[in-house]
Amino acid sequence: MKRAHRKAHLFIWLILGPVMVATLLFAVLHRPAEPVNQELPEILLLEAR
Amino acid sequence: MSHDYKAVQWTPFKKRFDLWLLAGIALYLVIFVALSLMLGNDTASLHPIQVVIRALGTLAFLFLTFILCIGPLARLTDRFKPFLYNRRHLGVTTFLIALLHAALVVMWYHGFSETNPLVSLLISNPRYDSLAGFPFESLGLIALIIMFLMAATSHDFWNANLGPGVWKALHMGVYISYALLIAHIALGAIQFEKHPLYVVLLCAGSVTVIGLHIFTGLAALRPAQSSPLEGWLKVAPVDEMEDARAKIVRPTDGEAIAVFRDGNKVSAVSNVCRHQGGPLGEGKIIDGCITCPWHGFQYRMEDGRSPPPFTEKIATYMTKLVDGVIYVSPKPALPGTKLEPTLIPLESGPNQGKINA
Repeated sequence: MKRAHRKAHLFIWLILGPVMVATLLFAVLHRPAEPVNQELPEILLLEAR
Repeated sequence: MSHDYKAVQWTPFKKRFDLWLLAGIALYLVIFVALSLMLGNDTASLHPIQVVIRALGTLAFLFLTFILCIGPLARLTDRFKPFLYNRRHLGVTTFLIALLHAALVVMWYHGFSETNPLVSLLISNPRYDSLAGFPFESLGLIALIIMFLMAATSHDFWNANLGPGVWKALHMGVYISYALLIAHIALGAIQFEKHPLYVVLLCAGSVTVIGLHIFTGLAALRPAQSSPLEGWLKVAPVDEMEDARAKIVRPTDGEAIAVFRDGNKVSAVSNVCRHQGGPLGEGKIIDGCITCPWHGFQYRMEDGRSPPPFTEKIATYMTKLVDGVIYVSPKPALPGTKLEPTLIPLESGPNQGKINA
């Protein structure tokens, strides 16, 4: 793999990694006991309950 | 084996691999559905189709996670190299699994309204300004579209027509697709799935992928170790050079160099395969030729040329042996230039070096 490609790979992961971890942390920490998104289709809410 | 388009060769290994793959998928789906219906308290009331949707979703996530781990793992251990040859098959299979998951979701959750199911999927939740209630379905849809583009261009036909650079750049979209998939699951299923196993799987999988890529990415940029010989890069003591394998040296400037040992001969070539830029130094010598670990492109050690009738050629580098240590020049010769290999004496010892220049 070319050096430029390796650098591009690393650069992408250095950007995407923290974004993905932040999204995960947010999602896990704000995980509701019961579903709160009332815009979800009713069938999804029923399934979750 | 050529830069030009060639029909895919179905080797017995690839056929066996695909059979195992299909068997594994079927086994996973059966076990997942059976265990969910038998053990899950909250899934007892679910329709089997909903359980299948979950099974396909988790399988697509696990497959994509594994696919993204193959590259870095193959750099750390040879055991994962066979998967490199079949990564395309795994990728296309993952797209088909994700497509089936999406199709069932659209049909099951949006197929009963008067609105077009796909339109219903996109407009049923308009909270694009809220992270907590974000319409995660659209994230999954974008990830699926990217995976479609990659699956559709997986064939060598596209690699030959787009060119390796464009093709590679297009296929790096898999990283964006994976990030979207993580967000899709984190803001979607995780928010209303009570079982902690889903959270554990998602966190473990994504952190492993991120960690492996950053670790191997940083390691790959590490420059060559300092050399006592001015103008030459230290490769390794002869004793540490495995037969039919290579050591990869990374000059401060320029591309990485793969230094191969074949019996008592040592030669160096560019580490970049002409096909898709695969890491030749992670391959091995098969039938006297350096063989790329990605798709089996081959080059002769002494001149970096593909054996006839193929015409690809890569840069070669001078090597020499001094005090039992192999060195390589960082200056590349023109692609296809023949250089005599460095010969390793039967009993190499101090001062038994032979310069090949």
